[in-house]
Amino acid sequence: MSRIELETVRKRFGETAALDGVDLEAREGELLVVVGPSGCGKSTLLRCVAGLEAVDEGAIRIGDREVTRLRPAARNVSMVFQSYALFPHLTVRENIAFGLVVREEPKQVVLERVAEASALVGVGDFLERRPYELSGGERQRVALARALVRRPDAFLLDEPLSNLDAGTRVQMRTELRRLHREIGSTMVHVTHDQVEALTLGDRIAVLDAGRLRQVGTPDEVYSRPRDLFVARFLGTPAMNVLTSEAASPFLQIPEGTVLGVRPEHVRITTDGVPAKVDIVEVAGSDAFVHLDRGLVGRVSADARPAEGAEVGIAFEREATHLFDEATGERVDRP
Amino acid sequence: MSERRQLVLMLAPYAFGVSALIALPALVTFGLAFTEYDLIRSPELNGFENFRRLAEDDVFGIALKNSLVFAAIAVPLRLAAALGLALLLHRRFTGVGAYRSTAVLPTVIPDIAYGLVWLWLFNPLYGPINLLLRWHGDSPTTTAWGVQPPQWLTHPNDARAAIIIMSLFTIGEGFVILLVTRQGLPSELYELAALEDATAWGIFRRITLPLMAPILLLLLARDTIFSLQWTFVPALVVTEGGPPPYSTTYVPLFVYRNAFEYLQYGYAAAATLVMFVLTALIVWLQWRIVRRWRKGFAVG
Amino acid sequence: MRAGDRRWGGWRQPAAIAVAVAFLLPLWFMVSGSLREPGQPPPRAPEVIPRPLSTTSYERAFDLVDLGRHTVNSLLVAALTVPLAVLVASLAGFALVLVAGRARALLVGLSFAALMIPVTALLVPRFTMFRWLGLTDTWVPLVAPALLGLSPFYVLLFYWSFRRLPPELLEAARLEGMKPFAMWRRVAMPLVRPVTIAIALLAFIASWGNFLEPLIYLFDPDLYTLPLGLRSLETLDRTNYPVLLAGAVAATAPVVLAFAIAQRYFLHEDRGAGWLGR
Repeated sequence: MSRIELETVRKRFGETAALDGVDLEAREGELLVVVGPSGCGKSTLLRCVAGLEAVDEGAIRIGDREVTRLRPAARNVSMVFQSYALFPHLTVRENIAFGLVVREEPKQVVLERVAEASALVGVGDFLERRPYELSGGERQRVALARALVRRPDAFLLDEPLSNLDAGTRVQMRTELRRLHREIGSTMVHVTHDQVEALTLGDRIAVLDAGRLRQVGTPDEVYSRPRDLFVARFLGTPAMNVLTSEAASPFLQIPEGTVLGVRPEHVRITTDGVPAKVDIVEVAGSDAFVHLDRGLVGRVSADARPAEGAEVGIAFEREATHLFDEATGERVDRP
Repeated sequence: MSERRQLVLMLAPYAFGVSALIALPALVTFGLAFTEYDLIRSPELNGFENFRRLAEDDVFGIALKNSLVFAAIAVPLRLAAALGLALLLHRRFTGVGAYRSTAVLPTVIPDIAYGLVWLWLFNPLYGPINLLLRWHGDSPTTTAWGVQPPQWLTHPNDARAAIIIMSLFTIGEGFVILLVTRQGLPSELYELAALEDATAWGIFRRITLPLMAPILLLLLARDTIFSLQWTFVPALVVTEGGPPPYSTTYVPLFVYRNAFEYLQYGYAAAATLVMFVLTALIVWLQWRIVRRWRKGFAVG
Repeated sequence: MRAGDRRWGGWRQPAAIAVAVAFLLPLWFMVSGSLREPGQPPPRAPEVIPRPLSTTSYERAFDLVDLGRHTVNSLLVAALTVPLAVLVASLAGFALVLVAGRARALLVGLSFAALMIPVTALLVPRFTMFRWLGLTDTWVPLVAPALLGLSPFYVLLFYWSFRRLPPELLEAARLEGMKPFAMWRRVAMPLVRPVTIAIALLAFIASWGNFLEPLIYLFDPDLYTLPLGLRSLETLDRTNYPVLLAGAVAATAPVVLAFAIAQRYFLHEDRGAGWLGR
């Protein structure tokens, strides 16, 4: 169990900078989620920590050791791949035991640890089957068990849930959380799914185009996004952004800034600024209301207006965010 | 042992084998072509003498022409047959496994055994092929439609045709490669084409052919090169280079006889070099033409 | 199209039957011709099955030339060549997957170039070299090409097969501390077994049928491989077809047998893709 630290890590692939000077720390025992759109460099970040890619510049430390130039196996980390990377020619048991067998651990140790790890993730019942006989969720558990069995200093998870169907994904998300609590190891979890990031992480790191945008608890990042990218990337539907002109019927904001309002903070009332309802999407208990002022509101499905209805809208000053129009950076109100 | 050392060791035998048995001999062939060498005395440089002699050697001229004509006819036919078989047998249906195996079967027969079989099949008097052609003929020596059947092993053109016919049954390798290629094509494209109500010909021309073109090109090049060696055993065993004058003497047989029967190694090397340069030229031309065709397809 | 029709293959079925018959004919006539009584007057009409059936030609073929010994020789040469070729080709093919970009491009390119050089172009210098080494009239020149995997084609085939494996499988093995050789043995080879079988078969067919090289290198009849035995049979009497064909059948039977055993692994391999979880 160790912290992981990246210090101004750079990695280029030809002309594109996959990582452009990333400083990041995963604290000891923490579940850190790195989130960003596809191609933002998040998988590269993980692969650099694992040693599967060599960094061009910067340093990586795991615990007290500098591992920047160490080969992958010497870093003592486990990785769970998006495609699980289970060996199809080995049984579940052999897959889980793989790392121990390669390291020539005594047979007794292998047996004990495999039993322990498979019990922890609940794959004890199909140890003699082969990966292609398992469902996606079961494969995922086997991959986790294989990572656990070695008792590594840290776990690296590369989009481990994204190949699962929606139901299994939510279930596995909860299990990951539980697993993390039980073993208390440092975990770095990479995902493109912001819901996953917000629900799973102790802290989350938002990455875009190889640069770190913001690191903080899900609460911090969601309620005080440091810039427009973070603000719009997290939350469904995305945060509304209004220029000072468009915002003027609601609020006066300083020149050169834009106003951000989360859909759940758009209130649909009888008074307020008049607007017309364009499209209403019902998502279970919630409804997303698309309005003609380029605004989207999120209301309880029971209270949704009809399409084409004339409504009034309002929002509270405290629930809005200000960003610099030019740089996109957060502007704190005086 | 470090990873690097292991990788080097894993590659070492192959690298050594390629250098010693392909690269070096290829260079030596190039060198020997400019010498006179009989294996007893050491090679003597004689400049372009071998090539001058080749240019005047009627037998080489005939062998070269025979080889090129064979390649020009046999290679497209072999490729078309392999493609046809692959397209016929790529789907699953009753017995398809047995049919695929059957199509590959003649290819696995040892060359010399294959040659002996055709020596029998092609026998003009009582080989099964001509017996079949003469079946119910007007007289014992003519076919049912009143002409003489081909004199496979004694008439020059019939003998050349015989060698081409022989070559059409040994297409297993190309067939398997094209079969696997065809099975690897995305089925969505064909489903889309079916929805668009494309004709079978349209699907072949607009989907199958362009998608398989890179592999076809590779096979074309490979078969061109291969076809020039392929003639050796049939020419030696079935037609013995004849009927006179040298109707089925191809370059490999010419090289073999000059080197190992007449002990003119330098001369044989020069003949090899000429053939090699011609082959390279043909493969290069094929590549150019197909590339142009593909470009044209991308636009139109 | 009805479902039954589809399973039956529709128009493909009769076409496939026609193809199968055409491709079986050479083999059929080889076997049926070998079962004719030698010295009988030639048939006047096509005969599908000779009468009377006789195996005399086989006895004569094995009497005239020591085909038994040549068969053993061929088996020995193949037993040396095939495992060595598969070993070298698979090691090199796997190493190619692991070496870095530029070196790999160079080696793959060179392999392609090597593939394009016709065997006939190498005949004379190879012969000169083996003569200089004093290795003519031994099996060394026949087995030596196994050092390059018999053909660069097999190396490239292995390389492509290993490349098609999901890269995470190899990365996972690397994370566990596996070295290239262990990865080859414990991860890569088990996953490409159909390819290995196919290449072993191809190598066996090539070694078994190899005629040109024994013809050049071997002078001592005791060392002759089976194709040279057939050649001797032919030079003894070119017109005694039943005997020639009996020899041909004897030379063909082992490869057909090997093919029959191995073909299902690569001609009917439908499990491959699903097995790798794709």
